Amino acid sequence: MRFVFDNHPVDFQPGDSILIALLRAGLHPTTGGCLCLAGDCPHCLATVDGISYTRTCRTTARAGMVVERHPKDGLPKLPPATQAPPVDVRHVHCDVAVIGNAELPAEGRRVVTLDSKSGQDVIGIYAGPLVVARTAEGMLHVHPKEIVVATGAIELQPVAPGNHLAGICTARAAEKLKAAGVNLGRTVTITEAPLRFEGTGSVTAVVTREGRVECDTVIVDLGRTPRNGLARMAAGLPVRAVGDAAREPQIPACPQAGVVCPCSGVTVDDLKSVWDRGFHELELVKRATLAGTGPCQGAVCVPHIRSFLADRGGKLQPSFAARPVAFQPIMHEAAAGAYHHPTARTALDAEHRRAGAHMERSAGWWRPWTYADPLQEYWAVREGVSICDIGTLGKFLLDGPDAVELLDRLYPTHVATLKPGRARYTLLLNERGYVIDDGMICRESETRFFLTFTSAGSTHAELWIRDWADAWKLDVRLLNRTVALGAINVTGPLATALLRDAGLAHPPRYLEHKIARVGDIACRIARLSFTGEVSYELHHNAGDSVSLWRTLLALGAKPHGLETLLRLRLEKGHIVAGQDTDFDSTPRRLNHEWAVKLDKPDFVGKAALLRTNQLPLDRQLVALETKGEPPGEGAVLWNGKDYAGYVTSSAWSPALEKSIMLGWLRFFNGSLPEEVMVAGKTARRAATPLYDPEGRRARA
Amino acid sequence: MRVPERFRLIHIVASPAALDKAEYLRIAPDEALAFAAPESIDDPYAIVEPDDGYAGLWLDAQEAEKFLARACEWELPPHRPAFAQGAVAGLPAKLWIERDRMLILVPAPYAADLEERLA
Repeated sequence: MRFVFDNHPVDFQPGDSILIALLRAGLHPTTGGCLCLAGDCPHCLATVDGISYTRTCRTTARAGMVVERHPKDGLPKLPPATQAPPVDVRHVHCDVAVIGNAELPAEGRRVVTLDSKSGQDVIGIYAGPLVVARTAEGMLHVHPKEIVVATGAIELQPVAPGNHLAGICTARAAEKLKAAGVNLGRTVTITEAPLRFEGTGSVTAVVTREGRVECDTVIVDLGRTPRNGLARMAAGLPVRAVGDAAREPQIPACPQAGVVCPCSGVTVDDLKSVWDRGFHELELVKRATLAGTGPCQGAVCVPHIRSFLADRGGKLQPSFAARPVAFQPIMHEAAAGAYHHPTARTALDAEHRRAGAHMERSAGWWRPWTYADPLQEYWAVREGVSICDIGTLGKFLLDGPDAVELLDRLYPTHVATLKPGRARYTLLLNERGYVIDDGMICRESETRFFLTFTSAGSTHAELWIRDWADAWKLDVRLLNRTVALGAINVTGPLATALLRDAGLAHPPRYLEHKIARVGDIACRIARLSFTGEVSYELHHNAGDSVSLWRTLLALGAKPHGLETLLRLRLEKGHIVAGQDTDFDSTPRRLNHEWAVKLDKPDFVGKAALLRTNQLPLDRQLVALETKGEPPGEGAVLWNGKDYAGYVTSSAWSPALEKSIMLGWLRFFNGSLPEEVMVAGKTARRAATPLYDPEGRRARA
Repeated sequence: MRVPERFRLIHIVASPAALDKAEYLRIAPDEALAFAAPESIDDPYAIVEPDDGYAGLWLDAQEAEKFLARACEWELPPHRPAFAQGAVAGLPAKLWIERDRMLILVPAPYAADLEERLA
């Protein structure tokens, strides 16, 4: 049986590791260095079947394998992203996870043993606690209550000039090599730090204080240090080390010369250099030299660096917290069991895609941006009737004896005066008086309300309501209906006629809402307007969305996407919370003081507004208009040579035949400039609404 | 693997004391799901609404075990039937586990993601 090593066939025997087979053939997977055959050192790393940094001492040889040395200069190439298939993950729950080889009486507990000798290589221990291990079948995620680390000890590696040569191995490695029939030639065993190794490519002699000995292999037996990296990476978790992994380390003599960290090529001279520059802590030395940050994660170098620092500083410093040890997981293994955060789809998602809509992510949802021609969609709203999927809006039912009190304390608008069947626009403020969202309040009965929030703000709004209800100890019930309900906005001058065609004899008037059937679908119908035209929001059970959508299309409505909706609302000067608002947008800065009733006894943010209203305004959200193409959102506004603000929303207005914008504009000498420069063009301030200023069309 | 379907459930928000009086899929102290509307509930302010907001499917015990072994980081309750909720395959899931089958529900907007992650 053979595998390929740097384009040459290599014979191997059943059960051989790649390393054993290579050494038996007189080859070496790297240029040299002290081999441990225990997965601790970086001296046998190679690229195996395209996976770099594979420990050949722990990888069983298979016929047809392709093994390549890492390049002498530079780093090995990453495999192409398409090369590795997804790696499976399996979750296992238990009471105790034993890592390594330890006899532990089960005593009725569920014990899972993870031993690298049995093919379970533990990568790391994480919060949870979670133990992640590689197996031949994929990744194993073990969720124990307690972890026992019984990973034994690492044999100390020599630090001396020439320690990069081939022909050096640890005592336990030598035993394994001999057992595997690898010819080591003339051997010499050293039990104290060598002064140097001699040779070119391979060792020919070793020099110690006792003299010089010629040899083919130097067996180093310099002591052991606990293999406790896993335990060190689990600070604060229920982890205990046992056996050799818990023993006091044998600290080697202070290194005098040679490579200390073979992964990063850090020498004793490098350590001296950083020491002299003031790096006296192990963590700082690591950062300054990168010692301990390579594939072996300090297994080779840390004992020697600790010795070096103790020699100079007079104190033995603890090892640094470890990161994933023992094996270098490939990206697919590291990603196993991880999932992308999903993007939500409305109940009409398939309808939009079937209609050929260009879908975009917005506020955590897939939304139709446009169906084909945004201008046609626009004019359908302005001149006919059109429908838009607004199922992404935050939707809530609130009830309870304290519902009115809660909302009146929460919102800056009057709630108690709102009559059942009526709806009111509202801002949502935080304690600092900054706008965090907006929406509608629809009163259903004395105690029950239907509330809406922006698509992006609904999750936070729910937390906000619940938090304040708890804080004030108010007796309310809150039900999040965001995904349970679909919502379709029917808008345009012919919207009322369309709904009459759909069987709605008595549509609600402006800022009213009612529950009635459209077609054969029960809807909460709210007459509002975000587009500037007559608009009816049809909130309904999400399972009925497709049927309702198709009914409305069949009656002649055309669909419009988010691009059109944003253009329409911009003509009306309606803000989009989160896009046009900033983290410190007060109602006054937004020109929304009309939505705040300071005559109310109190509401969240009132105290802050009373205070900040005394301060001179420094900037305001304003409407701007210019000729030609609209500047990009985020474009900078200039007042002469002075920075004056930035654009938050922009679009071409087909009805006004100019580009329109909302943007934050600074005050200069107590007033807002009438004209600014944006994207090389002059833009003039304009009053809102830009379209239908009296709002006749929306109220028609 | 089958395609998740939208489920019609009944969503109830009421005082914890009122919810304690019946068997529901209790998703919070003051919130429960039911497969059918309760005849009555001892809370005049209770909100009881049909809820189309979940999609899911039944898996047989073997399918469920295989799927959860790779997609569920937390330990299931040992008794049957059992109700449990938490992240499954990166989705907010609710599980109704019987001896020989399991219903997995996710918010309907994530139905396509569940289908993809079941495969």
